[in-house]
Amino acid sequence: MAQKLKRKKSLYQRGKENKKVQAALTVLLPVLFGILVIALWQGQSLHKMFHTDTYTLPLPTKIGSIFMDNRDKIWENTVATVSVAFIGLMLGSLLGYAVAILASFFPKMGKGGLSIIGAFASVPVVAMAPVLNNWTKDISNEASVRSMVAKIIVVMLVSAANMSLNAYRGLTELKPYAEDLMATYAAKKRVILVKLRLPNSVPYIFIALKVAVPASIMTTIVSEYFAEYITGVGRQIRENIVLAQYSTAWAYIVTACLLGVISYVILMIVQSILLRKHQ
Amino acid sequence: MKNKVKSLANKKWVSTVFWLAILVIVWEIGASMIAVTKRTPENIMPHLYQIIEAAFSPKPVANGMSATMVVLTSARATLVRALGGFLLGAILGFLLALLMKLSGIVEKLMFPYLMLIQLIPVLGLAPIILAITGDINKSRIVIAAILSFYPVATNTLAGFKSVEKDKYDLMFTYAAPKRKIYIKVLIPSAIPYFFTGLKIAAPMAITASILVDTLQGDGGLGCMLSQSLKHAMSIYVFWLIVFFSAFIGIFSGYLMGWLEALVSPQKRGIKRTKRKKGGN
Amino acid sequence: MSEAVKKEVEIEIKDLGVTFQDNSGNDVQALTGVNLNIYKGEFVSLLGPSGCGKTTLLRSVADLQEPTEGTVRIAGMTPKEIRMQQKFGFVFQQPVLFDWRTVKKNIELPLEIMYYSKEERSQRADEMLEMVGLKNFANHFPKQLSGGMQQRVNIARAFGLRPEILLMDEPFSALDEFTKEKLHEDLLQIWRQTNKTVLFVTHNIQEAVFLSDRVCVLSPHPGRLSAVVEIDLPRPRTLEMKETQRFNELVTKVRNSFEGGSV
Repeated sequence: MAQKLKRKKSLYQRGKENKKVQAALTVLLPVLFGILVIALWQGQSLHKMFHTDTYTLPLPTKIGSIFMDNRDKIWENTVATVSVAFIGLMLGSLLGYAVAILASFFPKMGKGGLSIIGAFASVPVVAMAPVLNNWTKDISNEASVRSMVAKIIVVMLVSAANMSLNAYRGLTELKPYAEDLMATYAAKKRVILVKLRLPNSVPYIFIALKVAVPASIMTTIVSEYFAEYITGVGRQIRENIVLAQYSTAWAYIVTACLLGVISYVILMIVQSILLRKHQ
Repeated sequence: MKNKVKSLANKKWVSTVFWLAILVIVWEIGASMIAVTKRTPENIMPHLYQIIEAAFSPKPVANGMSATMVVLTSARATLVRALGGFLLGAILGFLLALLMKLSGIVEKLMFPYLMLIQLIPVLGLAPIILAITGDINKSRIVIAAILSFYPVATNTLAGFKSVEKDKYDLMFTYAAPKRKIYIKVLIPSAIPYFFTGLKIAAPMAITASILVDTLQGDGGLGCMLSQSLKHAMSIYVFWLIVFFSAFIGIFSGYLMGWLEALVSPQKRGIKRTKRKKGGN
Repeated sequence: MSEAVKKEVEIEIKDLGVTFQDNSGNDVQALTGVNLNIYKGEFVSLLGPSGCGKTTLLRSVADLQEPTEGTVRIAGMTPKEIRMQQKFGFVFQQPVLFDWRTVKKNIELPLEIMYYSKEERSQRADEMLEMVGLKNFANHFPKQLSGGMQQRVNIARAFGLRPEILLMDEPFSALDEFTKEKLHEDLLQIWRQTNKTVLFVTHNIQEAVFLSDRVCVLSPHPGRLSAVVEIDLPRPRTLEMKETQRFNELVTKVRNSFEGGSV
């Protein structure tokens, strides 16, 4: 009996230790993998693997030093990209949300409209960007301004597509009987919207943003390729490659990746603050 | 008669057509306004019938080919590569999800990177991948594959994880071997999620392939798009490509939905019995 | 059921105890000191409120839960050995059906896993569908069936295996009264035809009394066996028996034994 008890204890301990080991592995494994890749890169093993040279794929240390040397210029372009992505995302999300509210009031007609707006998410940015460039030609005499407007509209359309579909679900997929309960209070449509639909849609807004935030940066970068005015992180990647300045291009690639990650982290922080009461 | 109109209005496609018609009307109003105010209205917003006319016109615009021929030939170059990258990415994505499900170590190793790659603007990497591979076709496939890979991998993994504990317990009481659990339970459960991934991936692969086209003058939809914008050929080629790529982008998502219905017996089965009931 | 058959012990539970660890790492005793013999061909219910460890006991018999103390022996073997011989039929509270398989294919699933031939699978599935009255729904998909019908498929699947031991974890608790009564009668009829040993978990006193040969009453904090009540209602049982005085006496007896044991 005593032996059995001992076995039981050791089983538990093993389980506990196991949990700690598992938690440590969750962090350690990917970190080690990342370090390994960077080491292979710095040691030029990656270059052999991809049959390339340190000119096209510069060493991490080289990219780092270029990054530091050009930080003022990189910052300038980052501001250009972030402002387009952010304004486009905000306007688009608001537009998408407004469309979703309208559609929730008139579901019969609204659903078809939503499917059309939703389709904009599948239209290649490459097809949208030049059209918008053409349409915004007369907006301003300043090339920088009209390019920015064109880019913002493209990001806006993509973000609106993402938001409208998710927000519509949030506004209409209510808890069972919630709507019936409101009906027993003889609540007006406006009251149901404010008390029930809007709060219910908050988590769905974040579902949409989780897709829309990285998408807005990607869309900005692609529409920069087509813009009349040369600015932005994406455009700099391309311009520097055309000029065969690969190290500088890589510095901008690193910037683009950082932008994606940082914006997502910010979104997560905002979500954890705003959704605290939802959980 | 009134009831008929009402039941028609309840159908989703009717409202889609309604909004589509509104969109067409708005476009035409815009086109008419621009036609009188601008010097070259066809560059900004041509009438839709002008675009259709251009599509059916046999007049050669480049290399002795009509506008539609130009679009279709370059579409083939682009779409074949997009499809190649898409299939490659989808297969790799599915396999990675399976590996992550099979091995806790692989899951721990790859999961953060799978999340990270979604946040990176992969399309921004297109020029450098072209520089590294040095080949436009390879770049098209590689970028389309990366962009298809992660939605498929993350969604399929979510599919594997969606299997409830009860199902594992049930298999456990049958003393089912691991292989059988994968074949009979896990993979079929992940199929709808896999298709969700494909629905996201397909338009992305097409976008990627067109974008890579624009980087080098080797043909393909993106290349023709840039050239027609620079007035190297009729501007209507530009409009045809814009509408064509918008169409295939949207269509590719629907295509995945149809494919899903084709391979999921329950979807077909439920539809069949519904139709039977409706017929009676 | 003859006395001779009844005396053959099928499941032997000795000093069984199960201790869990909660999220903060504290030990929680789910079950302690359970001693129980279940005879071959017997229908035994495990009855108690939530948290009394009745499901844990059932899962220990099925090898889904490793006991921390004591032993379970089934026909002289460990639960794991019995499980590996594929002799268990387990019916969960939820139907646990597979959406992409038709009703018939769902019933065939365990037979596929156990390498039965195609003909054998099909024949057994048809037999079971007939038994649970779902012959006309063979080619329907689970999502097209009502909750009661889904649970019938679940039971048909378990019986289709021809298990030695049938373990049922609150299989009817999510169903309405009318469906439940119909399924009670069906279950007893199938059981009489096949004569398996059944261990049935429930929190419904009437259900336990109506179905069982014996009702084992469990009490919580810590989970333990507090009484075993023999149900001497004649077989086959009919719904009318629920109106008899004896039935009500037994219900009262079970209820009293529970209250006495728990307070």
